[in-house]
Amino acid sequence: MSTSLLPSFRGLASRLLSRPFAFTSTLALTQQCRALSTTSSTQAPPGAQTKAEKKEREKKKKGRGEQQRDPKIINMLKHFAVLSPRRIPPPLRMGRNRYLRHWTIHRAWMLWLRKQREERERNWMRQWQSMYAACEELRLTSGPGTREEGYLYRVAMEKKGVYGLNPIPIEYARPQVETPPKQAWNHDWKR
Amino acid sequence: MASLRGLSRPVRSLPLAQLARQTAGGLRSRRCVSSQAAEAAAPVLNELEQTSLDVPELSHEEKLQYRPWKRAKDRKMRLPAQRYQYHPPKYYRGPLHPVQVPPSSDPIARDFVPGPFNNPRLRQTYYSTVASDIMTLTYMHVPPGTPEKDYSQRLRSWDDSSPYHKNRPLRGPRGGSALPLIERPITFNNIPRIEEITIATYVPEAIQEPDYLLVARTMLLALTGTTPEITKTKSNVVQWRIQKGKKAGVKTTLTGNAAYEFLDRCIHLVFPRIKDWEGINASTGDGSGNLAWGFDPEQMKLFPEIEVNYWLYPPKMLPGCRVFVKTTATSDRQARLLLQAMGLPFTGKIRD
Repeated sequence: MSTSLLPSFRGLASRLLSRPFAFTSTLALTQQCRALSTTSSTQAPPGAQTKAEKKEREKKKKGRGEQQRDPKIINMLKHFAVLSPRRIPPPLRMGRNRYLRHWTIHRAWMLWLRKQREERERNWMRQWQSMYAACEELRLTSGPGTREEGYLYRVAMEKKGVYGLNPIPIEYARPQVETPPKQAWNHDWKR
Repeated sequence: MASLRGLSRPVRSLPLAQLARQTAGGLRSRRCVSSQAAEAAAPVLNELEQTSLDVPELSHEEKLQYRPWKRAKDRKMRLPAQRYQYHPPKYYRGPLHPVQVPPSSDPIARDFVPGPFNNPRLRQTYYSTVASDIMTLTYMHVPPGTPEKDYSQRLRSWDDSSPYHKNRPLRGPRGGSALPLIERPITFNNIPRIEEITIATYVPEAIQEPDYLLVARTMLLALTGTTPEITKTKSNVVQWRIQKGKKAGVKTTLTGNAAYEFLDRCIHLVFPRIKDWEGINASTGDGSGNLAWGFDPEQMKLFPEIEVNYWLYPPKMLPGCRVFVKTTATSDRQARLLLQAMGLPFTGKIRD
């Protein structure tokens, strides 16, 4: 991978490969600091070695003084190095005509979106107004047979279970796609 | 040119004009149905521009008339340079600064994103079907002449038992400082829709070991395609080894099409694959139409983006995440109805 990267990345891999000692763990650091103070530390007796310290000493004996990092972590670091704000490409530049062409297309696209939205909202408004008119009609009519005035209206306004746990059957939630199946719903399907 | 690239090397070394002449002659000798159809449609097609670089032929007089240097000399204002030289500023310095950033729809803006290149199916379903169905389902008729409820005084006043109550601001709401929204009835201009989705991860281990934070950032980057924002711990708790102000979390916010795509992936790819999953806890919600749920670390690998290169993550370092869905609904029950219509089941006790 390093060969295919830009020349500016060349130093990156070697820099990410090892990590400074200060990052390893704050616990080890505090223990180091405590050794300088005169009072003995409460967490561990001064003579005793914790496991972490032993590991650190073993790694120091190896001669590097720095901890080797997981190659998976190095891989992730490389990806974030590419995304860093220093490497964001400069903004686009366009010639005058090209810019005007883009502007025209953008205005047309906004106009199209606006037209779509207004049509949608007009449709919702129309539906709502017809519901309103129907309910008003129901409220003022006396119901089937000998029912009193407004019976059907009260039945229609019963919102039983609308805000419950199962107001809409789960089969309703089928996303509409550009290539729907020939058989819309398989009624014979069983788990 | 693309077909030329596929030819063998010696053929490619021939001059292009020679090749073109040969192929054109070969075509002329044969009669094809398609060419006949093209000839039949020729009068219609002739009106179309073959190339946008076509220039009308100029006559001799017009050529004499064409004196650009004269026009440039007579012009009082200088035109901007042909190559557009404007660079948008790197930082937004506030509304009062003389240098303002261009809108993001401007192609020269630094935050310009081309697109949209697709119509998310959940969005398409919502606008074509779900929205009007929700409006119809929850329609409550208000007969004409019904007086409106008065919500003007929502905060309590002081009961003047003490002289110090004079000119005090009103008392806060009971049981906390948050004043939840009043539920507005769903009408044609008030149908709840999804506004944005925030995905947040908290990794307190990152205070001890910063690599955890990197793994969390990578995970959210893979999930959302945006560079996530790092959050800091709010409080000091010694037992949990968290310190105030240390970096220990990651979050991103998705809006628009990206939010619909993410919700679609949750509903149709991730939730069905969780073992013994019954639904989202129905008591979720902040009282103002924002619902939330969480994913365990084991459930994160069910996302296709994570599953595809799961082996690239260090073992047992992948965190879970919380998902907050912000809707334009003004109560939890309206928001729940919206998500139920999109195929998200809820279980448990309802608490509104």
